[in-house]
Amino acid sequence: MEKIKLVSRPVNWNKIEDPIDMDVWNRLTSNFWLPEKVPISNDIQSWETLKPHEKTLTMHVFTGLTMLDTIQGTIGAAALLPDARTPHEEAVITNIAFMESVHAKSYSSVFSTLCSTADIDEAFRWSEDNPHLQKKAEIILGYYNGDDPLKRKVASTLLESFLFYSGFYLPMYWSSRAKLTNTADLIRLIIRDEAIHGYYIGYKYQLALAEETTARQEEMKGYTYDLLLELYDNEIKYTADLYDGMGLTEDVKKFLRYNGNKALMNLGYDPLFPKDECDVNPAILAALSPNADENHDFFSGSGSSYVIGKHESTTDDDWDF
Amino acid sequence: MANQIVELDDNGVATGKTGVESTMSYHELNAMINLWDTEGKMQLEKDKLAVRKYFLDHVNQNTVFFHSLKERLDYLVENEYYEKEILDQYSFEFIEELEKLAYSKKFRFAAFMGAYKFYTGYALKTFDGERYLERFEDRVVMVALALAEGKEDIAVSMVEEIIAGRFQPATPTFLNCGKKQRGEFVSCFLLRIEDNMESISRAINSALQLSKRGGGVALNLSNVREYGAPIKKIEGQSSGIIPVMKLLEDSFSYANQLGARQGAGAVYLNAHHPDILRFLDTKRENADEKTRIKTLSIGVVIPDITMHLAKDNEDMYLFSPYDVEKVYGVPFGDISVTEKYQEMVDDGRIRKQKIKARTLFERIAELQFESGYPYVMYEDTVNKANPIEGRINMSNLCSEILQVNTPTTYNADLSYDQIGKDISCNLGSLNIAMAMDGPDFAKTIETSIRALTSVSDQSDIVSVRSISDGNHKSHAIGLGQMNLHGYLAREHIHYGSEEALDFTNIYFYTVVFNAIQASNKIAIERGSAFANFENSTYASGEYFEKYVSQVWEPATEKVKELFAKSGATIPTQNDWKKLKKSVMEHGIYNQNLQAVPPTGSISYINNSTSSIHPIASRIEIRKEGKLGRVYYPAPFLSEDTWDYYDDAYDIGPDKIIDTYAAATQHVDQGLSLTLFFKDTATTRDVNRAQINAWRKGIKTIYYIRIRQQALLGTEVDSCVSCML
Repeated sequence: MEKIKLVSRPVNWNKIEDPIDMDVWNRLTSNFWLPEKVPISNDIQSWETLKPHEKTLTMHVFTGLTMLDTIQGTIGAAALLPDARTPHEEAVITNIAFMESVHAKSYSSVFSTLCSTADIDEAFRWSEDNPHLQKKAEIILGYYNGDDPLKRKVASTLLESFLFYSGFYLPMYWSSRAKLTNTADLIRLIIRDEAIHGYYIGYKYQLALAEETTARQEEMKGYTYDLLLELYDNEIKYTADLYDGMGLTEDVKKFLRYNGNKALMNLGYDPLFPKDECDVNPAILAALSPNADENHDFFSGSGSSYVIGKHESTTDDDWDF
Repeated sequence: MANQIVELDDNGVATGKTGVESTMSYHELNAMINLWDTEGKMQLEKDKLAVRKYFLDHVNQNTVFFHSLKERLDYLVENEYYEKEILDQYSFEFIEELEKLAYSKKFRFAAFMGAYKFYTGYALKTFDGERYLERFEDRVVMVALALAEGKEDIAVSMVEEIIAGRFQPATPTFLNCGKKQRGEFVSCFLLRIEDNMESISRAINSALQLSKRGGGVALNLSNVREYGAPIKKIEGQSSGIIPVMKLLEDSFSYANQLGARQGAGAVYLNAHHPDILRFLDTKRENADEKTRIKTLSIGVVIPDITMHLAKDNEDMYLFSPYDVEKVYGVPFGDISVTEKYQEMVDDGRIRKQKIKARTLFERIAELQFESGYPYVMYEDTVNKANPIEGRINMSNLCSEILQVNTPTTYNADLSYDQIGKDISCNLGSLNIAMAMDGPDFAKTIETSIRALTSVSDQSDIVSVRSISDGNHKSHAIGLGQMNLHGYLAREHIHYGSEEALDFTNIYFYTVVFNAIQASNKIAIERGSAFANFENSTYASGEYFEKYVSQVWEPATEKVKELFAKSGATIPTQNDWKKLKKSVMEHGIYNQNLQAVPPTGSISYINNSTSSIHPIASRIEIRKEGKLGRVYYPAPFLSEDTWDYYDDAYDIGPDKIIDTYAAATQHVDQGLSLTLFFKDTATTRDVNRAQINAWRKGIKTIYYIRIRQQALLGTEVDSCVSCML
């Protein structure tokens, strides 16, 4: 692959080929966070109020998410590297890969704070045995290991913007019911990152696609919708496995369709699911907002609103008094 | 509330089609105000539906029914829900009248947030926590009965003021009054720590005791010797302040598991303490676990000299508290660094380190981006404006309490040698819009001051002697204000405009007059003033100088009109002369009178914008441990007031500082001031705002908030707060 040459090209941030690279890099770095920031231990009391089946569901959901983030951090983002269009894109992708690993580790810190080792081991075993979760991983990994760069990007965007959300639903659901609110803060930080990752990879996909022949563009479009439907079918079964016990499956499915449409939008395609099949429970939708309109005081965690600041020194004029 | 969750789950399953309001839960209806409807309009009416639904589906079904008031009170007293002694101060007929009065006002919660907050957090519940024993009116009556201490006319005034929403006691008072099983009426404490192990361990003990009672505690670390300082003359022994912070943080989180409300703490440190940079770095995103402080709030005490050194871009010296105390014989925190700076720099006996002054400010700003901390207290500004003898060296968890303290000393067996004076604060706020609408502003204030004084009189924190002694001597209270932005928007005035600043100035000017007058009246009635009144600038008359030598009146027509149609009378110079004379003769009962807190929960119950801040968002998203995500529309929000509700990020720091400066000149203690920045801001913008605040005479800065907009293309569809 000729792109390999890029590796020996020094990355010059003073010469930006695509300003989006810079924007996204700045955004990602200022969003940097570590799980230790969130006082998950404040959720211990709340965790104890969950019924046993609710706890099990929560742990299953988190192991599922851990697996996706593990794939994305170790294989997914790395698979996108050779196709990078600019050296800056490579830098952004390495940041994405790193943050995915931070996400994967965050779930572990939730586990270790709230649950016992035996429960954690059981939940991980479940994730290895669940056919739908395994299938989901298999489909995505298939494309990551394949040799079509466009398909890799589609698979990656669908993972970032679609597949995570069957899992994200639950902490948002708990948070809208005043449960595990600090865990929800942590998940919201992850959602904040994933939203940008999905957007960025989708954007790069659109750039690459525009250079292709019409026939190839048509092929990719067909492929994208097919893949989304394949994943959707599997996702429905996975959702039913998880949420039937709580009677939430129908609600989660709306959420899946809503996010499926968002993933398509990130890739530059029209929504697939009609709007009235995507009327997500408003409490969940509102809880999802990646913006920082939350108001905090010292009794709440620091939430998802603080960022790493841009440093700029004061000058003598500023101190003119 | 387990049954509530089940009920919601059932709804979630049954709904299938959301959008059909009758089948939507109140949670969902409330969340809809954060989403545009299909025609792109706001759905504020959904919040009213949410309130209705909440009462129908939840409150009414979970309220214990009584046939009569008699039956209810007997039951509550017999089962140890209500305190018998409070009811016994009044005849049953009077209580019945008072209940009738309260219910005749037809109180309704204006926002779901208010109703939800009240019933989850304040209303008396059965011991199993399952059913309600009080409605809002019952709570108000019980608070009035407890605070009026047997005086019927005062109880009536209190019901009138509280139910009309003009006066709202702070959470611990409003929550606990009249209950048999209750926490303290005051919830905010400030403790000194001296540079010895007895004092440090006593501080931890006190932090546990006060947290157990649901209090927030601030501690002053400025006196504690720095990292590497000698212990018993052996060099390099002390581990500095960070391990003390760790101990405190763990103490707060331990007590937090027992109490209903989370424990919370803050620590303050003088900018010239040698551990200052380590102190700030505890809040770093990537700080090591051993030094990282997650839940303890931090604040920096900045004297004027630091500002001047930064202005000249010079080094600033940090002084060893251990040596300073040895040289001057008083703790480091009790020394004016500005006054003694050069002397201490030149004194060879005092060990010192130096850093670039501007580096400190940049570091502070960086940290504020990452964590919102530290709070800032401008020490010299605070002390110049302090009418009381003594020094103010710290503030509290919300940075609005500013009072003098004195050290406590201990014997070798850990018993008290001399009990010093520590600080507690007891707050309540006026809703500016309602107070201006009220028939008699002076009476509103007098009733509020009496209510707060009663809380002080009834409080006795025996487990921390320095606190209870301090309270008995000072009777300090803090009358706050909220709903400024709400009032301005309703009256079609932009926050921070000339008219808004004019209003803020004259409003606070009128408040301070009436507050001092009320406290003077109480002093006359009781024949006593606060301890050490004779050495205050109230007693010397100096305090009144700016009011008797200068005319204060509205500068704009609009503000003249607003006061003309209100129940408030703007005091004249002559009024002040009379008041000055009376105060110099009889004193005032309360050492401190005003403090403007950030007002969280109570402003939702009271349907106010918080404090005198601009709104953070037209639809605010609130997350609290107990509550989850709930959406709160700004009070009086409508198509009509929409344009007057610019949010704090658009308004920017300068107008907020101007507003607070207009108020600060009339407030004896502090005002919680949060500064809001968009994420395009840099540390330099934050520093400039801090410089500007200091120049304008601002006393303290509370949080710094940064808003990050969702990256284009990643927003949630049709989300109101995303599009604002």
